[in-house]
Amino acid sequence: MAVDITLLFRASVKTVKTRNKALGVAVGGGADGSRDELFRRSPRPKSDFSSRAREVISHIGKLRDFLLEHRKDYINAYSHIMSEYGRMTDTERDQIDQDAQTFMRTCSEAIQQLRTQAHKEIHSQQVKEHRSAVLDFIEDYLKRVCKLYSEQRAIRVKRVVDKKRLSKLEPEPRTKTRESVSSEKVSRDPSQDSEEKSVTEEYPEKVPAESQPELGTWGDGKGEDELSPEEIQMFEQENQRLIGEMNSLFDEVRQIEGRVVEISRLQEIFTEKVLQQEAEIDSIHQLVVGATENIKEGNEDIREAIKNNAGFRVWVLFFLVMCSFSLLFLDWYDS
Amino acid sequence: MVGVKMATAAAASIRERQTVALKRMLNFNVPHVKNSTGEPVWKVLIYDRFGQDIISPLLSVKELRDMGITLHLLLHSDRDPIPDVPAVYFVMPTEENIDRMCQDLRNQLYESYYLNFISAISRSKLEDIANAALAASAVTQVAKVFDQYLNFITLEDDMFVLCNQNKELVSYRAINRPDITDTEMETVMDTIVDSLFCFFVTLGAVPIIRCSRGTAAEMVAVKLDKKLRENLRDARNSLFTGDTLGAGQFSFQRPLLVLVDRNIDLATPLHHTWTYQALVHDVLDFHLNRVNLEESSGVENSPAGARPKRKNKKSYDLTPVDKFWQKHKGSPFPEVAESVQQELESYRAQEDEVKRLKSIMGLEGEDEGAISMLSDNTAKLTSAVSSLPELLEKKRLIDLHTNVATAVLEHIKARKLDVYFEYEEKIMSKTTLDKSLLDIISDPDAGTPEDKMRLFLIYYISAQQAPSEADLEQYKKALTDAGCNLNPLQYIKQWKAFAKMASAPASYGNTTTKPMGLLSRVMNTGSQFVMEGVKNLVLKQQNLPVTRILDNLMEMKSNPETDDYRYFDPKMLRGNDSSVPRNKNPFQEAIVFVVGGGNYIEYQNLVDYIKGKQGKHILYGCSELFNATQFIKQVKCTLVVCFL
Repeated sequence: MAVDITLLFRASVKTVKTRNKALGVAVGGGADGSRDELFRRSPRPKSDFSSRAREVISHIGKLRDFLLEHRKDYINAYSHIMSEYGRMTDTERDQIDQDAQTFMRTCSEAIQQLRTQAHKEIHSQQVKEHRSAVLDFIEDYLKRVCKLYSEQRAIRVKRVVDKKRLSKLEPEPRTKTRESVSSEKVSRDPSQDSEEKSVTEEYPEKVPAESQPELGTWGDGKGEDELSPEEIQMFEQENQRLIGEMNSLFDEVRQIEGRVVEISRLQEIFTEKVLQQEAEIDSIHQLVVGATENIKEGNEDIREAIKNNAGFRVWVLFFLVMCSFSLLFLDWYDS
Repeated sequence: MVGVKMATAAAASIRERQTVALKRMLNFNVPHVKNSTGEPVWKVLIYDRFGQDIISPLLSVKELRDMGITLHLLLHSDRDPIPDVPAVYFVMPTEENIDRMCQDLRNQLYESYYLNFISAISRSKLEDIANAALAASAVTQVAKVFDQYLNFITLEDDMFVLCNQNKELVSYRAINRPDITDTEMETVMDTIVDSLFCFFVTLGAVPIIRCSRGTAAEMVAVKLDKKLRENLRDARNSLFTGDTLGAGQFSFQRPLLVLVDRNIDLATPLHHTWTYQALVHDVLDFHLNRVNLEESSGVENSPAGARPKRKNKKSYDLTPVDKFWQKHKGSPFPEVAESVQQELESYRAQEDEVKRLKSIMGLEGEDEGAISMLSDNTAKLTSAVSSLPELLEKKRLIDLHTNVATAVLEHIKARKLDVYFEYEEKIMSKTTLDKSLLDIISDPDAGTPEDKMRLFLIYYISAQQAPSEADLEQYKKALTDAGCNLNPLQYIKQWKAFAKMASAPASYGNTTTKPMGLLSRVMNTGSQFVMEGVKNLVLKQQNLPVTRILDNLMEMKSNPETDDYRYFDPKMLRGNDSSVPRNKNPFQEAIVFVVGGGNYIEYQNLVDYIKGKQGKHILYGCSELFNATQFIKQVKCTLVVCFL
């Protein structure tokens, strides 16, 4: 295993110091030393880049702490029993969501800014690499924190959907019966109301059954001059039918919502991949354009070469013909 | 750190231990804890060539990134100042390295320095650094200084090598060369002992050492025993006590260290092999788990007048993450070919699944009333999309192994390595030979001259009596006709003369090889690996000499070969020279170390041997790793000067 010899190192520093003092060599602690320190400090200002990078990191850290702090409340307030403590209204949750989103946006903008700036100022290859790697780390950190947030949000959305489904079953049939009765007791018992509400929330399957006796009592309580038993029965049947229809509709809608959520998730994944490929396709496009240029130039060159070749051949032919003519001429001249 | 590995045996995985140690070092010497929402910390890693060799088989660049390393640079390169970044150094404490580090301190390249030395640094060098730090007023910047004791390279879970950079220093040739002086020998031995010491510190166990008499291994054993003993006596600074032992404390058995010398068995390095990993090492350029291939861009004949086909160089890393490699590195080559085919088939099936989903989705997308059917498909689609990265990874591995195996197969076909393998097996097991040696040697298109030399050397080594002079002359003539250099033969003759005392150095056990003929399943699957003409040989288990020695020592069997091995126990108060082991129980863990060089054939043999035994572990180490070509080169230059 590794052995920590830092203490040994410090001890040897002391030994060297005393030895140098004994030998009379000025080290560290003298006037030169302080000047060295000054010289060291001033031409090395705290690098702008790294201080800003650390700022961004601390911001993201704050966001993460904020999310983690309220996470319990955020998720936990879905219990059936609405307790006073740790209860968050929806508006508060929306607020948190919005805040988190704006925060994330500002952070990612800051990172982008840093990135452009970093590449402008510096000429050394290693420092550039280092900075881009640092920015990658920061982005990664931001992504992880955003994941926290999106997990919370996904849970919340799911529960809202479920809750909506549960809570919608009650009001529909009730409003219908209320309309069908002309004179109604406006002053309803609010406790009965809320009781019905909570009852319907918790036991949605029993809603039809429960609303029946409700309707029944109401129906009985209203003026019997208005409704005959047949009509009551008819209304009851109609109510049942409507309830059944609503149920099936809501089932379908629920399914559809689930599918749509899945599809949207898939879309996210796809867009991510497509964006990744876009960069590659761009580069391929560039390459292809370059290749076509090269091929065009190559064609030109070949054409020229052919021309030159043809020209050369013409000259050779001409030369041969001239030679043969001169031969003939000489022959004729001589004879 | 103590609680990290409580249940596993001490010698279980040296690779994990070394990786953990490296990660801890990279985490500023604080144990590394994975935290998914932790803040990023960045640092720069500076190493020298030794450090690079140690780190590269263990951590990939991605893993370095995960640990927060933005840049990794060589110590002796030009480095620019990067302010506000802590730098982690991982270097050997040599003069040049120390000088360069002092220069860095003077130039103030980084904000803080974490110095880690691969093996222990001496006091004087530490003072040099202190001096430079003082001169540069940078003492506070040197945050931590550590001795890491990691001076060895782990290649596999249970295999390690001493060094790669300066392997000429500890090569077979360096140890066995006739003109070596005492001081040089001392240096070589010191290097080996230092690395072995680091190995045991990392392992966290003090072994019981056994070695043969009268060899280089004995010198190493004596020195190692002395070093361990000194360290244990020094209770204050002992590296083997307290929480540094970790898991070693919980295993009640101490491991056995068997030190053998290469000269026990010279035939194995020359042997032609048939298992995948050993073949890759023998035939291709393979070191530090990286294989370099030269790919020719086309197989067809190039038309006359065209430029020669450009060969691309590709290099692949064969890592423990690669499941196919882990499963098949010890299998015979035809099996590997089949498995690659199978993997390819299964991958294609999965790919088709995904493609089919795509077509289904295309159809359903236009049909409005098909939302219900869509539900099933969205789930399938999600699972398909999420499994895409795995599929891609699988494809990459299959491509990798296809290329590697094709390259190996080309070599096999060109050099007829299967013939050599079969023949050598027969020679080494002393069954009757159906073809005469002379035939094979004079066969012009069976293998390179080197292959023939190897074959002949194995024959010479394993022959009970030396062949007669006339025969020898015949063989020599045939060999020179084939173009071989005869120097290695001289060396082997000398070696044989020296090794006469070992009565049966080359009894390799009984083995038979059954050629499975040309009509094998491999041919019938219509695979890319057209193995026509390559016999499908099946290996039977055989025990190489090293394995046999280990078996005797581990199981406490009595055998004239190993009975007079020396016995060292660093933990005993008085070192005595007896060769009677105090402990009569068989050992559960053993470490075999070959002084002078080892190879994958022995490693594979040991792995096969230990597979049959439950609950036992073996680690294999050598001072360097060479294949037959390199060994012959070394042997060629090591000639005994005859003083007559």
